[in-house]
Amino acid sequence: MLVMRRRAGESFLVGDDIEIQVLQVSGTRVKLGINAPPSAVIVRREIQITQNENQTAARSVSPHAIESLLNRLPALAAPPADSAGRQDFDESHNPRLS
Amino acid sequence: MPSIRTKCFQEIDYTDSAAFHFPCGLPGFEHERAFVFLNRPDSHPLLFMQSILTPELCFILLPVFVVAPQYQLVLDEDALADLQLPPTDQPKIGADILCAAIVCAKGNQEPPTVNLLAPVIVNLRDRIGMQVIQTQSGYSHRHPLVAQQELASCS
Repeated sequence: MLVMRRRAGESFLVGDDIEIQVLQVSGTRVKLGINAPPSAVIVRREIQITQNENQTAARSVSPHAIESLLNRLPALAAPPADSAGRQDFDESHNPRLS
Repeated sequence: MPSIRTKCFQEIDYTDSAAFHFPCGLPGFEHERAFVFLNRPDSHPLLFMQSILTPELCFILLPVFVVAPQYQLVLDEDALADLQLPPTDQPKIGADILCAAIVCAKGNQEPPTVNLLAPVIVNLRDRIGMQVIQTQSGYSHRHPLVAQQELASCS
């Protein structure tokens, strides 16, 4: 990984047409300005991680996956005896199962 | 009463008031704006988040406290505003909001994982939901879901 030091107001280039400028540094937060052509896709890293993980999770759902999940996790599958502090989802929020 | 086909179950009927609205969709599924949540006694404590638009799209979720009893959720003012929650207090999980993690089932050898980094948060009163990335939290997007007896046998 290339590491460089920049101060607020300074910038650097990625390729010929992407400029990233450090606008402000305060504490642990850095505000960046990005000049890039519309074709450049700019996405926060954590959003991209979440996009990929959501797509993988959606693909993983199947009746078999549900069954093995429940078989794998009997300790979790048993309804807790004590409801204190337990998060639950009220039946009234649900549609009726036909 | 409208009905939807579901990925994992039979066709279900639902009322419009049972739908939850996700104004921004989910990352990777930005056009999916409405879901219903299903929980079934035979698959407790799993929740199923079924798209109304797309029958083939369903997520398996687990309430975060089932996975991580000490889970710390922090919603910044932008997230509170997006969820139409009061800006002054952190909402109470289970009372004001649902906070659940998306499960990713894996093959037979690998443990399933849950995304604790980006839980699904739902304002239960106004039925608005979004996935809120807990950037500062240190939680993993692939937290292994290990049964308690497996943990015990490892110690």
